Amino acid sequence: MASTDTVDNGVQVSSDSGLDQTRRGFLGRLTAAVAAIGALVAGWPLLRSLVPNVLYEPPKRFRIGNPESFQEGVTFLEEHRIFLFRESSSFHAISGICTHLGCTVKFSPFTLPQEETVRQFSYRALGEFHCPCHGSKFRGEGTNFSGPAPRPLTCFHLELSPATGELVVDTATDVPRDFRLVV
Amino acid sequence: MNLFKIQDMWQKLIWPWRPESNREAGSGIVANFLLHWFPNRVSLRSLAFSASLYLGTITFIVFLVLTVTGVVLMFLYIPSVERAYWSIKDLDNTVSFGWLLRRLHRISAHLMVALVFLHMFRVFLTGSYKAGEIVRSARPFNWVLGVTLLVLTLLLSFTGYLLPWDQLAFWAITVGTNIAAAVPLVGEAIRQFLLGGTIIGQPTLIRFYVLHCALLPIVLFAVAAWHMWRIRKDGGLAIVEQDRKDALAREPVAPKKSKTYSVLGIASGTTVQVNDPTTLNEDNSVPSTPFLIVRILLITLLTVAVSIGLSLVVQAPLEAAANPEVTPNPAKAPWYFLGLQEMVGYSALMGGVIIPTIVILGLMLIPFLDREQKGIGFWFTDGPGRKWGIFGFLYGLVTTVGCLAIALLAPMRDIFPTIESQLFFDLVNPATFLLLLFAGMYFVVLKKTSSTRYAAIATFCAFIIAFVLLTYMGTALRGPNWDFYWPWQAWPTHPTAL
Repeated sequence: MASTDTVDNGVQVSSDSGLDQTRRGFLGRLTAAVAAIGALVAGWPLLRSLVPNVLYEPPKRFRIGNPESFQEGVTFLEEHRIFLFRESSSFHAISGICTHLGCTVKFSPFTLPQEETVRQFSYRALGEFHCPCHGSKFRGEGTNFSGPAPRPLTCFHLELSPATGELVVDTATDVPRDFRLVV
Repeated sequence: MNLFKIQDMWQKLIWPWRPESNREAGSGIVANFLLHWFPNRVSLRSLAFSASLYLGTITFIVFLVLTVTGVVLMFLYIPSVERAYWSIKDLDNTVSFGWLLRRLHRISAHLMVALVFLHMFRVFLTGSYKAGEIVRSARPFNWVLGVTLLVLTLLLSFTGYLLPWDQLAFWAITVGTNIAAAVPLVGEAIRQFLLGGTIIGQPTLIRFYVLHCALLPIVLFAVAAWHMWRIRKDGGLAIVEQDRKDALAREPVAPKKSKTYSVLGIASGTTVQVNDPTTLNEDNSVPSTPFLIVRILLITLLTVAVSIGLSLVVQAPLEAAANPEVTPNPAKAPWYFLGLQEMVGYSALMGGVIIPTIVILGLMLIPFLDREQKGIGFWFTDGPGRKWGIFGFLYGLVTTVGCLAIALLAPMRDIFPTIESQLFFDLVNPATFLLLLFAGMYFVVLKKTSSTRYAAIATFCAFIIAFVLLTYMGTALRGPNWDFYWPWQAWPTHPTAL
């Protein structure tokens, strides 16, 4: 800022005319360098402390209930923002979080299920997913086909709890969209 | 204790300092900040309402209203996810005048955002970011400070938005932090740093609270003080350049040197006054006290009265408590972000990251791209400037409506159904078209007129109308599922969804 402030009146301020070669100048630069390094060293703990090491968040892997307790078709698990699909004894789970900006998508069911082939994958589609925030749309197996969503909806790994026989969703593990858990 | 002692103490309380000499009295005046808030005399040209519309002054007054109401609200608000929403409910229902405080704070925040934009439009259209030929002031740098203040105002507004912890707040922050995540490579790290975790929760609330109540206001106050101090250092509003021109014509002698004061050694070099031939005289200026002071007091009174009046009529909405399980439909950001949200609807990377960055950098660069010095302080510079302003306005109107029509009638994914690459849609979308159309116009006008100022006026006017149209689109014409609805069309009350 100092230079923009200076009026062009032919008077040169000494600090503007190159590096000061005296011992005083050198010591001044040395002090500035030490101060800069000191500021960085002091600033690091301040910033690093704001990056949490322990997260008190809900677990990424959780039980959702007995397989028999879910109806045929689709169930939305509100608290986990997951759509659980059941086709007799075959289960799979699709994330309800829009891949655009994280709103919760809504399932818009067809009046009748229809056979669909999306990206060389044939399946029985029950409906589509629509996002309320920016109008993204996804096919019944998760592929984005309209709006700004950049990726298909994530499919999560499912397994049976060996202890209780309940379904366990692992939202930390993505699976291909043809993943099915048969119980 | 005798009477003289009491009198002495009383005098110490009200005004302890007694100058020993005229010289000390003079130095005291020079050193005193309050007596130097305004210059001794102020140019009639810059006092005129049409020169500045007093928009910067009004913005700062609104900021003071926000500070006062904000401090009181801090006593009444509890930044915890369990209690934040209910403390806002209490403000509306159980605290005496709590509703007024909340409405006044909210309406002032909206006003401040609007005023910052209007002030920027004014400064641009009157060419007040220009240095001037006679004294070469640092106004270009002050424009950069102004753009910084615009960004700080938007950040303050955005962080304040989360605090009520209702549905609107929760989903606006979801959308906003996910826009940050669209930054290549480091996006997810930035998002988690903002949230203080991987999901919105207590760490997020406390982060936004501290940013909103402590860090950002202090930074904004410091930069605003710098911004206003620079106006003094540059010799006043830009229209003063015309007084300087007159003075130079009157007395083309070498400018006289006057004393230069540095401020605690922060500012080096000489002030513009040293080379300034202006010497405001009886004909072109009046004493700041009372003429400027009275105007500023009047503007303050009007601003506060209008803010309070508005908050008596405009309710502050509060939706249901934040619920991560249900996204409201439609989920909208505050109005000044809805133009951005409209573009984010085409591509998060282009509309949410690339274009805002280009706009902010482009704004900051204006005084360094346009270095012409004619017509400083006059709206649209001159006759041709007005013509190019109208041209830019119409061009912006047509191109923006065209791009919105493309977005509605022919979405890119329908035109190119076979392309799966996300990068393609990030680069080819209506927001990119608009950006290229505006950049193209700048260079065409520049070539046609060989004037950076006319090209800048045309582009800026196109930018203003695009901003207004996109904001209107996002605010009024987007309904459930972000579908398009005319203003006279009713939204479906029961969206078909599970």
